[in-house]
Amino acid sequence: MTDAPMFAVVGHPNKGKSSVVATLSQNDAIAIALEPGTTRQRQAYPLSVDGQTLYTLVDTPGFQRPRRVLEWLQAHSLSASDHPETVRAFVTQHRDDGRFTDECELLTPLIEGAGIIYVVDGSVPYSAEHEAEMTILRWTGRPSLALINSIGPDDYSDTWQAALGQFFQVVRKFDAVRAPFEQHLSLLRAFGQLEPDWEQPLSQATEHLANQRQKRQGQSASLIADALADMMAYREKRTLTLDQVAATSDTDLAEQLRQRWYQHQRRREQALRINIEHLYQHQRIRRQEAELEWHNEHDLFSEDSRQTWAVSRGYLATAGFGAGAVGGAGLDALTLGHSLGAGALVGGLIGAAGSYLYGDQLMLPALNIGALKNGLKTATFGPVQDSQFGYVVLGRAVDHWWHISQRNHAGRDLLDLEPADHHWLERLDRRSRQAIQQAFDRCRKRRPLDDRLRQKFIAAIEQGMAAYDDWRLNRT
Amino acid sequence: MSHSPLRLLLEFDARSQRDRDQPPAFLHRRDRKFALTCEQQGRTPGVALWLEHMAYLNGPGTAPGEARRTLQLWRRINLGFAALGALLGVLTMLSLLFFEGGQRINLSLIIAFVGLHLLLALATSVQALIGWQPWRWLVRRLTPRAERGVTRRLRPLLMARAAHLGASAFALTGLVTLLLLVVVQDLAFGWSTTLTTGASTYHQLLLALATPWAWLWPAAVPDLALVEATRFFRTGTGRGDLAPELWGQWWPFVTMLWTTWVLVPRLLLTLLTQWLLRYQAGRLLASHPGWHALLYRMETPTLDTGSEHNDADDLPDTATQAAVAPLPDTDLLLCWAGAGEPELPGGLTGTGQRIFRAGGRASLADDRAVLTEVAEQLAQTPQPAVLVITRSWEPPTGELLDFLAEACQRWPESVTIALVPLSLDGQSELEPHQLRQWLRFAERLNSDRVRVSALPLAWRDPYAASGVGP
Repeated sequence: MTDAPMFAVVGHPNKGKSSVVATLSQNDAIAIALEPGTTRQRQAYPLSVDGQTLYTLVDTPGFQRPRRVLEWLQAHSLSASDHPETVRAFVTQHRDDGRFTDECELLTPLIEGAGIIYVVDGSVPYSAEHEAEMTILRWTGRPSLALINSIGPDDYSDTWQAALGQFFQVVRKFDAVRAPFEQHLSLLRAFGQLEPDWEQPLSQATEHLANQRQKRQGQSASLIADALADMMAYREKRTLTLDQVAATSDTDLAEQLRQRWYQHQRRREQALRINIEHLYQHQRIRRQEAELEWHNEHDLFSEDSRQTWAVSRGYLATAGFGAGAVGGAGLDALTLGHSLGAGALVGGLIGAAGSYLYGDQLMLPALNIGALKNGLKTATFGPVQDSQFGYVVLGRAVDHWWHISQRNHAGRDLLDLEPADHHWLERLDRRSRQAIQQAFDRCRKRRPLDDRLRQKFIAAIEQGMAAYDDWRLNRT
Repeated sequence: MSHSPLRLLLEFDARSQRDRDQPPAFLHRRDRKFALTCEQQGRTPGVALWLEHMAYLNGPGTAPGEARRTLQLWRRINLGFAALGALLGVLTMLSLLFFEGGQRINLSLIIAFVGLHLLLALATSVQALIGWQPWRWLVRRLTPRAERGVTRRLRPLLMARAAHLGASAFALTGLVTLLLLVVVQDLAFGWSTTLTTGASTYHQLLLALATPWAWLWPAAVPDLALVEATRFFRTGTGRGDLAPELWGQWWPFVTMLWTTWVLVPRLLLTLLTQWLLRYQAGRLLASHPGWHALLYRMETPTLDTGSEHNDADDLPDTATQAAVAPLPDTDLLLCWAGAGEPELPGGLTGTGQRIFRAGGRASLADDRAVLTEVAEQLAQTPQPAVLVITRSWEPPTGELLDFLAEACQRWPESVTIALVPLSLDGQSELEPHQLRQWLRFAERLNSDRVRVSALPLAWRDPYAASGVGP
């Protein structure tokens, strides 16, 4: 078997080489800064499947003295045929020369057989200053591709495209921070076109990456389902002696338990967010809403969150009807159909009425003090009384998932989960709405979800994620 | 290792619970590696093999404690039920066959007891099937910690198995006691009832009860004559009183009645419950979320995107002590690497200026020629100064560094070299991060002669700051 292809990402300093590598290798721990010299030595990022490397990206420092290198090369070459050998001789001779450290670092993978990915910034004008660099790269004789990565808001990519076309086999535009995932795959396929031998491993790699992404969506739905089931069913419990009961008023006790209940729910939501971020290999995301406070508009229990993510009474009534009808249908089945669907109808109506009445307010749990037992009393707070809380959590979770799944690993800005302006769940199909409502109803009654219901719930959340994605795409 | 589905389920469940704290990437690598090894060895990876593999890797004595404890607990419960059943079997049979000579052992009572036992057997089976747990209080007392997930779902069947085992022991010791009593005592059986039942009706009932063994042991099927002869009445003057030699002939019937309607059903129900338990355990294992996750991990290739390298905190120090200096008054302009093309901004144009070009497309020889020319110009100037015009967005490179180092050597010591980075349009202010990179560059040169100056802006939008339109 042939060696896995290697690609050296090279170019002028500070043009986004590391950003390209960070996005393609899904690594948000690569140093990226708007300062030249952030990358000081080459670093390899292999993509491997079951331990077998399919390709390797090599991040390199930028050119520092290209004209001096070119002068040296020209002085030591007789004809075009000796160009690659001359480049190799240059690296051999200058390995310990401090002035050419960066050049040696970036040329080494090329003389070892790497393909060239030359990165330029398309948001600044073309500069002939780069021609020496491009000439040196051409001297290496390696297959080459140029990427126009736009760091700023302006666009000079047309002039760059014309200039780069004279030096490189393929020229592509690729915004390392904003490019959607499909473009990552398309870019990897373009790498495969540089050499016939590279096509197969690159096509394999893109296939694996696409599968991985698809499965991550399912895994995210499963994580969200688990968190929702936990949060809907959660009950804060405290055992008190008679003295403690006498010393604390019910209001104070309810307040203490409510605060602890809030705290637990916030922590659980944070844990879900971290799990989803880690699933997508985002280990270092800074979130705008890291500090959650009661008055904070991003808080789980804030009025903003309720208004943004809670569903309408109409929605709740239809979902409640569906979920109630499912229960009522069981009655019809028991009567072998002799009830002529009355069970489903009555169940549906009860579900719809219940959901409608609770529809426009967030009913939080109530304090419940149990009977005296062995000299102790148990006070409980929770679980949540209505399904709106579930929809708020679900909306926030799906919104967060969407931002994470769309975020490239080169992005280093704060993750700001801005509120949406329209309720996306309206796009969800009827069966998924019912499955979600049914799961919420069961969880808040602290009845466990069996495997079948859990699978239905996960599938419905996945549908919800697709609906949200579709809504986001069509919103702008 | 035993491949009993119950053991596999409990051990797998315990392992899954333990894996919850492990990072998913690690679990994926571990299980994918196991699946690939199985494939190489031509084996099909399954739960038993996976558990063996885990146990092998962890070394001896590391079987999941919780699974072991649960199995031990149920073994103890089963033994307790069996022992109690055995004891009760002996005592019950002794009571049923209590015979002191003055009275006969009433067959009707034995038949009624057998019927009651069948009813109990049926109730035990039904409670297991519908999930009713009358023994829950007992298990709660016996279980030191709350049972979780799968064990809780299997508890009705586990309890039914224990109950059937106890009842089987009961039936067995009852039978043994019966046979021993038959051997060591002269038992007198008879039948009696307050109801107005004739001997033929009673015989019909007995024949129906004896159907299962009639072909096997005809002597254990009572004939009508025996039934008629062994009936006794409360007055004690019945015809049965006349045939005491027949009273003992009932023992084969009683033995077969007990065997067929007490012992065999219990044994069959024990086996059925055992099978149900295995079936249910297998089903729970097949639908265990951990098993689905494991299958996914074994089937899906591990994808490593090479993201383990972390240098996010290794950012360059962008702090700088240098400040922007005033623009020196000079007519000597040096445009570095194409800066100022196609035309210089208004603040730099004027009459009498000498403009030189270096860097970028120019060759190194051109650069050296420019250095010489500028040196000549500077020699004629009393307060020598040069403006080096650059593009602010192109970071300073080693080439400019070399050029300035050479300039410092070749130009008069009193020369002031002002680096003047231009913004993209040549008019607006520089981006702070772009200006900073030039300040840091000047600082790195460590020369009194080189500094950074900003171009005085020829025109500033008066409305830009206030946000009010013209």
